[in-house]
Amino acid sequence: MSIAQITHALNSDRNGSPVSSDSAGSPRADSLGGDWALRFDGVVRRYGRHLALDHLDFQVRRGETLALLGPNGAGKSTTISLLLGLLRPHEGTVEVLGTTARGAVGQGRVGAMLQTGSGSGLPPGVKVSEALALVQRLYRSPASFETTVERSGISSLLGCRTNQLSGGEAQRVRFALAIAGDPELVFLDEPTVAMDVDGRRTFWRMMRQFSQEGRTIVFATHHLEEADQIADRVVVINHGRVVADGPGATLKAAVAARHLRFVVTDPDPDRYDRLEGVTDVEIYGTGVTLISLDADATARDLVRANIAFRDLEVTGACMEDAFVALTESKRNPSDETTQ
Amino acid sequence: MSALFAFARFELVRLLRSWKFLAITVGFPVVFYMLFLGERSSGQIVDGTVPWRVYLMVSMCTFGSLVAALNAGGSRLATERSTGWARQLRITPMPAWSYVATKVTASMLVVLPVLALVELVGLTFGGVRLGVVQWFALTGLLWVTALPFALLGVFVGFMVNAETAYPVVTALMFVLGYFGGLFNPVSQMPQALQSAAKALPSFHHALLALEFLSGQTLGAGNWLILSGYTIVLGMALLWKHRVEESRGLA
Repeated sequence: MSIAQITHALNSDRNGSPVSSDSAGSPRADSLGGDWALRFDGVVRRYGRHLALDHLDFQVRRGETLALLGPNGAGKSTTISLLLGLLRPHEGTVEVLGTTARGAVGQGRVGAMLQTGSGSGLPPGVKVSEALALVQRLYRSPASFETTVERSGISSLLGCRTNQLSGGEAQRVRFALAIAGDPELVFLDEPTVAMDVDGRRTFWRMMRQFSQEGRTIVFATHHLEEADQIADRVVVINHGRVVADGPGATLKAAVAARHLRFVVTDPDPDRYDRLEGVTDVEIYGTGVTLISLDADATARDLVRANIAFRDLEVTGACMEDAFVALTESKRNPSDETTQ
Repeated sequence: MSALFAFARFELVRLLRSWKFLAITVGFPVVFYMLFLGERSSGQIVDGTVPWRVYLMVSMCTFGSLVAALNAGGSRLATERSTGWARQLRITPMPAWSYVATKVTASMLVVLPVLALVELVGLTFGGVRLGVVQWFALTGLLWVTALPFALLGVFVGFMVNAETAYPVVTALMFVLGYFGGLFNPVSQMPQALQSAAKALPSFHHALLALEFLSGQTLGAGNWLILSGYTIVLGMALLWKHRVEESRGLA
């Protein structure tokens, strides 16, 4: 499955209409006014000679939960650092909550859980309750201590020293610190990385509850499942560019897409387009490949339409294959889809 | 402002709760003081101006300030930067400069009880007798002039990583202590080392206090050198902080 096919599937729903106005190559977001929690516009960021972000564009609506999906080194953490004003872009603009990244952070409207490598991300030598109380006092209008403890489920950890926590516990405490200021927008950089399965489930349940209060969540992950299950929308990035952009369900559908290959003596592209489930058609000589979101229906329709096909072969891209296809291409999908 | 106060208090509590920090900052100057106490007759005149007992107490005050300031910044700072805590603070509304300012303030604040403790040893075991005003003036002078040490400690914490910070701090403690003439008067050092000593802030820190106690006018040259260190280290710290900001590390 090529990158163009997947992006095609991602950028259109089953009826072929655009999924969202903010997908690559679609009408610009400007027309929708101040509804954006954040906007990334042509952002370039280099580390020495290495191009970490290569004209990255994407927008996130207020109240939306967005997953930034991509392999390690794709540019997810750099993106989050720019959104927090920890880094400045070399080109392009970053707008957060209608102001600059640093402005939004300075106003206390943003919270984040960053990657900490081997460290806990917590101050050594204090109790969890003390660290949380301090972070709260740094914000002008924080959530109450009790509310934050409840939202993050850390009541049993309050009396512990920060250096006595397990990896998963430390993550929960860092989540509490991220939301202590009652932020409108929360960034989570691979938040569940040190958690076990149970921990992940609990974490995302709390996260979902938190986002239901109208908050915007942007999280980075390299787990397709996590992106699919949690996010309203998934932006796939690789090599510092947006590779695909669409709702999780469409991503999943794209991943579930099948290839139907067959041979006909005289291919007629117009006929295949109308078959049920087909999102894309490729013809090379007498060989036809249909990309279908419902292979069974397409096959039935092929027979019903009296198409004299031979050598029918149905293959599927498994999730990992699709992910690899999505993220390992260096080509720019928006160039292809607009052709 | 209340946020900064909360952060400063938080830092101070963390410092005073750390057994390692307390053992080093209290242990080093007091143990050294006790060891050196019996070495010579306390009335022996050092450098032609002050008795040994006064020289020793002032030297240990300087050494204590140095040890406290370097260890309050130094490896503690390097460690907490490597854990990601510094970055977590960076994404709160607290302004960037206040992280550095609070670290320097906390270092300065822990110098004060160390000075008091060494002076207490001077009063009880060291045979130093001063008037109340003199005690306070001496403490104030030693404290204010410890600013370059506080800046140096924080600067080291920013420059080195958690693994190398400890040896660097230890080396600085003994280089500034020994070559600054705190363990042995500079006048008794070889000629080459004497001129090296006169370039170190620790030497001038102690000398100002000795000048004060022996009733001399405080040397403009000492002030100049200490101010020079303060300005250079302050600017180096600002520069380092700027660089880290632009790289997203601060």
